[in-house]
Amino acid sequence: MTPSAFAVPIENYIGLSAVIFFLGVTGVIVRRNPLIMLMSIELMFNAANLALITFAKAWVNAAGHIFAFLVITVAAAEAAIGLAIVVVVFRRAAHVDVDEIATLHG
Amino acid sequence: MTHTPLGIEGSYPLLYLIWLLPLAGAVILWTFGPQLRSLGGPVGAALVGTAFVAALVSWNDATQISDKLGGAHAPMVSWLPGFAFGLLFDRLALVWTLIITGVGFLIHVYSIGYMSGDRAFARFFAFLNFFVFAMLTLVLSDNFVGLLIGWGLVGLASYFLIGFWFERPSAVAAARKAFVINVLGDVGILFAVIVIVTKVGSIGYGDVFGNAAQAFTSGELFVVCLALFVGCAAKSAQVPLHTWLPDAMEGPTPVSALIHAATMVTAGVYLIARCAPLWTASAEARELVGVIGALTAIAGAVLGIAQWDIKRILAYSTMSQIGYMIMAVGVGAFSAGVLHFLTHAFFKAELFLGAGIIIHNLADEQDVRRMGGLRKQMPFAFIAMLVGVLAICGIPGFSGYFSKDAILYGTLQHGHPILYAVGVITAGITAYYMFRLLFVTFFGQFRGNVDASDLGIRHPDSGTPGQAARLAHEAEEREHHGSGHAHAPAWIMSAPVAVLIPFSIGIGWLAIGGENSPWQTFFAPVFPAAPATADVAPIPELLSGVIVLVVVAAGIALAYLRYGTKAALGASVARLRAETMKMPPVLVNRYYFDAAIDALFVKPAAAAGRFFGSFVDPVVIDGGVREVAHSATWLGHLFRSFQTGLVRGYALYLVFGVACFVVYYAVIGAGK
Repeated sequence: MTPSAFAVPIENYIGLSAVIFFLGVTGVIVRRNPLIMLMSIELMFNAANLALITFAKAWVNAAGHIFAFLVITVAAAEAAIGLAIVVVVFRRAAHVDVDEIATLHG
Repeated sequence: MTHTPLGIEGSYPLLYLIWLLPLAGAVILWTFGPQLRSLGGPVGAALVGTAFVAALVSWNDATQISDKLGGAHAPMVSWLPGFAFGLLFDRLALVWTLIITGVGFLIHVYSIGYMSGDRAFARFFAFLNFFVFAMLTLVLSDNFVGLLIGWGLVGLASYFLIGFWFERPSAVAAARKAFVINVLGDVGILFAVIVIVTKVGSIGYGDVFGNAAQAFTSGELFVVCLALFVGCAAKSAQVPLHTWLPDAMEGPTPVSALIHAATMVTAGVYLIARCAPLWTASAEARELVGVIGALTAIAGAVLGIAQWDIKRILAYSTMSQIGYMIMAVGVGAFSAGVLHFLTHAFFKAELFLGAGIIIHNLADEQDVRRMGGLRKQMPFAFIAMLVGVLAICGIPGFSGYFSKDAILYGTLQHGHPILYAVGVITAGITAYYMFRLLFVTFFGQFRGNVDASDLGIRHPDSGTPGQAARLAHEAEEREHHGSGHAHAPAWIMSAPVAVLIPFSIGIGWLAIGGENSPWQTFFAPVFPAAPATADVAPIPELLSGVIVLVVVAAGIALAYLRYGTKAALGASVARLRAETMKMPPVLVNRYYFDAAIDALFVKPAAAAGRFFGSFVDPVVIDGGVREVAHSATWLGHLFRSFQTGLVRGYALYLVFGVACFVVYYAVIGAGK
């Protein structure tokens, strides 16, 4: 079975997804502002969503859609918790640099 | 296994009374000793005396016979099939019980005088009572495990009593030595019990003896007898496990009389007599035990010549006499061995108690070189000792004559002429050193005020802290005794000795009449008959008796010539000095047994201890534990370094890990 035809070739979708994902990864590793890091994580989620939906469409399989919804839910929860942590840390430390928040180092 | 009954079963409440009264005494005296004070002695003596009366009252229980079964058997508890515990009171147990409680009672009474003024008066009687209880446990048990328990308790009681004056380092060392050697014997008996349980499946005497023939091969039977005999040798001071007995004289003299002469050391004789069916079935075991007994008899007698300490002379004579008993029961002359136990219990207790009177009156002097001429000062002690000496030498009419004669003739009857010869020679040596003791102690001039060096007395370990402590302690004890004389009447020490005198003379008369004597008839149902083939002695009993008498007379004559003549007595100081100087080192050092044990066991054990203490423990064991701890710390340090606390670092690890997965699957995928 071949993937059903797309106006745009499937490789482009996957390539876009990969690009967005690596943007996210780079953002998490490089940036020190927790808000930016959270946003980068969201980017990674959405890259994954894009790939899921692409494959779902290509293979005519609803599982990919369902997983995408699940990821969106998890992302929402993650954002809520992550922002809450950021607020608490900001209250205590008065600055938002993740490298400064290293009290659990060995 | 078929169950074999042991005696006539019943409840026999008096038996429990005999057995438990001394235990009650020990508990009461131990608990309320400080409150009882000087009452402690009479209480302890009364309880043992009551046990003696109860034993006498139970005489008919022990001697009853019906349907080939003899004695009273009171089962108590059954733990597992084959592991039933109870009391057995047959003729053999009766003899031992009467001696333990009877002579025990006399020695309790004597101790009231001897120990008066001692700080731990009640504790002493608690231990004595405990000893009587332990010995009764040993003798009254109807099974091997009960015997082993009694065996161990007796060793413990002996340890307590030898080390009674625990301020003396020498007493503590002697107690420890006795305990260690006795435990060695316990291990032998434990081993025998294990073999018996494995092979027979029961611990009861009746079951074991009844099934021995089917359960054991002759080799296994020999092993069982050998293991049992290790216990006997340790408890009864047989070569080479005898070295603790002379040292045990560190205990108070009544202890020496009760434990290390009359009762405990004869436990080995009891065990072999009790296990007569096993020994009857194993010719090799009889051979071995007979030879060891004879060896001990002559070795002890020869050492008796070389001693100057009055209690040590008696200790070696005890060792020698027990050698006789062991030889007798070993060759199969069981009733002769038990008769010698009976007579020996009386005359040896008398000798020790007589010696105790001397020691007590001379303010703890034990060296016979510093005695002399005591016949006039202490006529009563002289008569007591004289009767004891005549009895132990086997002068006709005295008890020792009958039992020694029975033993010696028994060895011939069972076909051991060499053991007979050794026994006869030992009788001569015994006569020599016992009369030497008598002459040196009681005749001539009193030498207590002669300077020690004039008599050749050297304290081999003088100047060591132990000796100094002992001397200091003795001086202190003397003061105690000084105050003790005031409230301890002399009769309380003399009376028990006076009771022992007629028994020392007359108890042997039970054996008058040969095969039909009261003694032989009494034990006829107990011991198996001697093997008929060996029952032919080369010489008649009368001739044997004459030979023994001639040798004994020669021994006495030699002692008289060397110590008893007017010339010898007049020059006693110089003569004793010369003899001390010329004493062969091999005798002074007691055949180097102690040195050999020291070199063979103690030194290697101490060296091994030092090796383990200085190397294995600190380096191997502690080192190992430390290394485990160190490596845990090292690993912790290693993993700690990953925990930077940098969230971005962790993210990098994650990415790296995911990348690894991706690469891995890419490669695998490409491979497919």
